[in-house]
Amino acid sequence: MTEDVTPPSLEPFVPPGMGKADGPGTVHIRSLVKSFGPHAVLKDINLDISAGEVCVLIGPSGSGKSTLLRCIDGLEQIDSGVLKVNGEHLGFREEERSFKPLKRKELRVQRTQIGMVFQQFNLFPNMTAVENVTVGQIMVKGTRKAEARERALRLLAQVGLNGREDHYPSQLSGGQQQRVAIARSLAMEPQVMLFDEPTSALDPELVGDVLDVMKGLADGGMTMMVATHEMGFAREVADSLLFMADGYIVERGDPREVLANPQESRTRQFLRKVL
Amino acid sequence: MDATAKPRIHRRGTYEYVMWAICLLIAAGIAYSLITNPRYQWDVIGDYLTDGTVLKGLWLTLWLTVLVMLIASVLGMLVAIMRSSKIPPVRILAIGYISVFRGTPVLVQLILWFNIAALYPNIRLGIPLTSIGVKLDTNSLISAITAAIIGLSLNEAAYMAEIIRGGFNSVPKGQLEAGDSLGMTEAMKIRRIIIPQAMPTIIPATGNQLISMLKETSLVSVLGVADLLQSVQLIYARTYETIPMLLVACIWYLIVSILLNYPQSKIEAYYTKSRQAIRLQKVEPVAEVPT
Repeated sequence: MTEDVTPPSLEPFVPPGMGKADGPGTVHIRSLVKSFGPHAVLKDINLDISAGEVCVLIGPSGSGKSTLLRCIDGLEQIDSGVLKVNGEHLGFREEERSFKPLKRKELRVQRTQIGMVFQQFNLFPNMTAVENVTVGQIMVKGTRKAEARERALRLLAQVGLNGREDHYPSQLSGGQQQRVAIARSLAMEPQVMLFDEPTSALDPELVGDVLDVMKGLADGGMTMMVATHEMGFAREVADSLLFMADGYIVERGDPREVLANPQESRTRQFLRKVL
Repeated sequence: MDATAKPRIHRRGTYEYVMWAICLLIAAGIAYSLITNPRYQWDVIGDYLTDGTVLKGLWLTLWLTVLVMLIASVLGMLVAIMRSSKIPPVRILAIGYISVFRGTPVLVQLILWFNIAALYPNIRLGIPLTSIGVKLDTNSLISAITAAIIGLSLNEAAYMAEIIRGGFNSVPKGQLEAGDSLGMTEAMKIRRIIIPQAMPTIIPATGNQLISMLKETSLVSVLGVADLLQSVQLIYARTYETIPMLLVACIWYLIVSILLNYPQSKIEAYYTKSRQAIRLQKVEPVAEVPT
């Protein structure tokens, strides 16, 4: 796997019917670089995600999918490049000659507008399902308790967890936990939702429920970036498919086309292994 | 119980019988010596076990233990939070505190606090670099008992800080990332995520510290504080019944430690099984969603 991949000069792919405009629900990335020590994980990322687009990220492990999503959520700080989420530079304010870091408070406001769903759910085990969904609303957004609970119950119903609100995470199956985690993110009313291999830690029979919830979100017009190995989901739900390898975006296009007829040899190699 | 369930079998081997024999032999030897050696003076021990002076000393030992542990827990929590800070000077301050108070003998610290007036004869409470404030005589401010409370609390806080930090570190990183992702501040994460999840690690260790502290308080007798040990010392200084009086103190320390051991083992069992598992019993079992 040491062969060097030359960054292909792709025309930024825009799914049909979607514009390139800036604003809520969009992600724009130019020449993004991220290293951990001497190890460059993201080498030159250029990407545009339109409002309402569902973009699926595939690629071998270590290709940088997770790191890219974590950068977009602000969990990792980027080394260089431009990263705009919801039309704003993440963590920075653009001034005439330079970028000024945002105050922590301003960064937190940006973060509430981006939802992240983790592979390991990361639900708070000391809180019930409904508390997990209300805690962010109450503490961060200052929503009144009754109102927060009402919205939490509505969201838990939306992800198919009616009657499970007073269960602790340890009393729920992996699939149920992940759906609570999705509800927890949605409660903050984000404009972009990021999913970092949301079904990889689940037993196969529980994957479907989570994917159904995600499909429902996509149908509702949410901008979504999903790192996954579920090619069926990519084919059925995604507007665009993005293949990453060695820190580069190797190929991007219509999911059905890319899956059926990949243009790059790296993509072909990878798809042969997983399909 | 289903048909395949089998009764528990405990097979006694030769080894176990030999160990039982040794155990009983040792117990019998100790009992024989305790009963037949008149120098234990059991009658004296019996007389003084509930003596007024002894009970007053016991009471002081008990409240001193509880007070010191309370102060040390609060202070230790503060130091632990500072120790985990991202800001270097705050962290260094906490590391310095822990090194100094954990790295010197607590007995020496107690004597130093008692003699603090030799270093600072006067303490001025007020605004630095101005003349506003009051000047106080250190000797009248720091009595033996205050020196005992300050000395033990500051020392114990260093240990508590390390226990609490250990608890903080046991919280998975993903939990904090989830908090970050929701836009929580550091304070919110500490209050709602870190502390509740660190408690199962912290509480059993704190119980352990409480039992140690009960015995550690006996050090304050060197300052002339009338704790349990000092009380029996006062008596045997008068009556020369040194050994029986020391045994009186030991019996009380032992009784209280054993009493504290019971809730301690309960707490440990509770947290080993994890809080959530306990709660599980109160809620009806989860039926799996049919797929």
